[in-house]
Amino acid sequence: MTATDTPMGTAIRAAAADIKLSAVTKAYDARNVVIPPLDVELRAGEFTVVLGPSGCGKSTLLQMIAGLERVSEGKILIGGREVQELEPKHRGCAMVFQNYALYPHMTVAENMAYSLKVAGVSKAQRTERVAKVAKMLGLSDLVARKPGQLSGGQRQRVAIGRAIIREPGVLLFDEPLSNLDAQLRHDMRVELADLHRRIGATSVFVTHDQVEAMTLADRILILNKGRIEQFDTPKAIYYQPASVFVAKFIGAPAMNILRVTGDGDTLRLSDGQVVANYAGQGNFQLGIRPEDIVIGAGGRLKAAIRYREDLGSHEIIEADLAGQPLRIATPFGDEMDKTSSFSFAFPQTRLHLFDAETGRAIPNSFRQAEAVRRSAKEYQ
Amino acid sequence: MVENARSINIVASILLLIGVVYIVGPLYLTLSTASQSYEFMLRNGVAWYPGNQLFANMGKVITETRIPIQMLNSLLVAFFNALATCALSFLSAYAIVYFRVRWAGLVFALILVTIMLPLDIRVITTYQVASNIFSPLNAVLDVTGLNDVIASVFGTPAHLELSVLNTHFGLIAPLVAHGTGTFLFRQFFLTLPKDLLKAARMDGAGPIRFLFDILLPLSRTSVASLFVLTFLSGWTQYLWPLVGASTPDMQTAVVGLARLVPDADGQVPDFPMIMAGAVLVSLVPLTMIALLQRYLVQGLVLSEK
Repeated sequence: MTATDTPMGTAIRAAAADIKLSAVTKAYDARNVVIPPLDVELRAGEFTVVLGPSGCGKSTLLQMIAGLERVSEGKILIGGREVQELEPKHRGCAMVFQNYALYPHMTVAENMAYSLKVAGVSKAQRTERVAKVAKMLGLSDLVARKPGQLSGGQRQRVAIGRAIIREPGVLLFDEPLSNLDAQLRHDMRVELADLHRRIGATSVFVTHDQVEAMTLADRILILNKGRIEQFDTPKAIYYQPASVFVAKFIGAPAMNILRVTGDGDTLRLSDGQVVANYAGQGNFQLGIRPEDIVIGAGGRLKAAIRYREDLGSHEIIEADLAGQPLRIATPFGDEMDKTSSFSFAFPQTRLHLFDAETGRAIPNSFRQAEAVRRSAKEYQ
Repeated sequence: MVENARSINIVASILLLIGVVYIVGPLYLTLSTASQSYEFMLRNGVAWYPGNQLFANMGKVITETRIPIQMLNSLLVAFFNALATCALSFLSAYAIVYFRVRWAGLVFALILVTIMLPLDIRVITTYQVASNIFSPLNAVLDVTGLNDVIASVFGTPAHLELSVLNTHFGLIAPLVAHGTGTFLFRQFFLTLPKDLLKAARMDGAGPIRFLFDILLPLSRTSVASLFVLTFLSGWTQYLWPLVGASTPDMQTAVVGLARLVPDADGQVPDFPMIMAGAVLVSLVPLTMIALLQRYLVQGLVLSEK
């Protein structure tokens, strides 16, 4: 059952609007700058996930788009219209909050219809729209209940229903899944992705959970201290992180970052082991994902095992490589020998090279073109 | 620590019994006296057992004294005191919690200070202001020298005068501003989810709509408990109605009860009638407590937090 094949033929479907931020700044005072000038463009109908550690300004960014926080400087354009001075209700946005923020004294139907009531929509129309949204979200049996009588997942659905009932051009999500348990979170993720496809509104989803970001996003915007670290498709972000910050943030367990030195020919660890061939000199940071490391098979690198975690499907090995910690994920189903040291190799195409000081990626350092090409094709 | 020992139980029971006697004793004497005739009291002194004159005495109170009209005064004072207190406290707490007010902390602290300055302490200054509510304005005009300017322009200094003594408004107004109420509502608002206001704004509701559609319905029980508490305190107010109202028709019932004792020496007061009056006057708050006990308890718990 989808909304598009309801007999009435008037499904909940939004006219998506693009969002453009130009030099948007948020500062409480000269010392306390949350977001330095920020430029970004979100396409109409796109699902953007804003990802970052707590305190990186992602919620502030969302609330500025919504109109709940004032913009210190800069412009916000929604559907080509400047909105930074407008009240939230005139921006065509709706929002889903982390703790649902449902009105406890109203029934589910009243909660969802409240914005329509404020806007002066007639009672008959309100009832009809509520019925439609409730059906779409599987809440039809619960419309007469109060939020206190609902489970977490149901409340979350009501909050989403409240947001989509006005068919807003922009849907904003402020960590909406963080209060749910793991199973429910997964189910809601699937549901959200489906909902986005059906409604088609431009969605901005704030989270600190990389799984949510990877699974939901068309593009991920990674924020660090209010600055954009990278804004790209999930695939591109995984295969070609633009900085050490992104590299460490995406992927579990996190990417290994090793300090290496280039002698113009090869990259070496401090104990002289050669990790890769590279025509560059000086200090670098070399990244390799735990799942990309190939164990055995004549690998020329050696490390001592410090600790191993058996997760059933695979093992996470924590090793010591020339005084630097290294995490390795064994391939699915592989049983590692219970030895204390082992040999392995870094496949050249899976290496990432970053500047030692700035942490920015050094482009085209190793051949990753294949993976990136694949993800670029997917996005178009 | 709750011990389940027999000896402790006995001691506790005895203590409780003493407390009950201490509280119920006077109440019993009130009722028994109220149900005896004046003559019985003159003959026998204290009425240790009840008689059958209760309704006769009550009838006497209703027909021969001003208690009925004074009860109406009490009702007006208590009701509007409670209503105005609720409205004022609710609005000030709303402003403090939901708006970014400059010096909000200081304002709240000053409001709390009023709890430490009850009417009983500032009764003389309150009387002065009530006798001419423009007296603070006059004082400001005098001190700032504005009155000299006015005098030079109009020939005479401005001196406004309006007394609210001996009016219902004058009886109510000084009781209304209430730090406790503001505190109660503030504590309650802080327990509500912070995103409610944001959600309402996203739904297109402005501050006024949020106040009426969301905050007020959610605060129903808090409003009710504050209403009950202030109604009771308004009903039992003694000092201010005594000072602020001078004619018997404007006095409240509690003051009127005290005035039933004749001023003249040597005459034995009609205690049965006075006690019947006391019973009558207590009926309103008693009914209120009986019906709204739940809110009363809730209010006490909330204001203690």
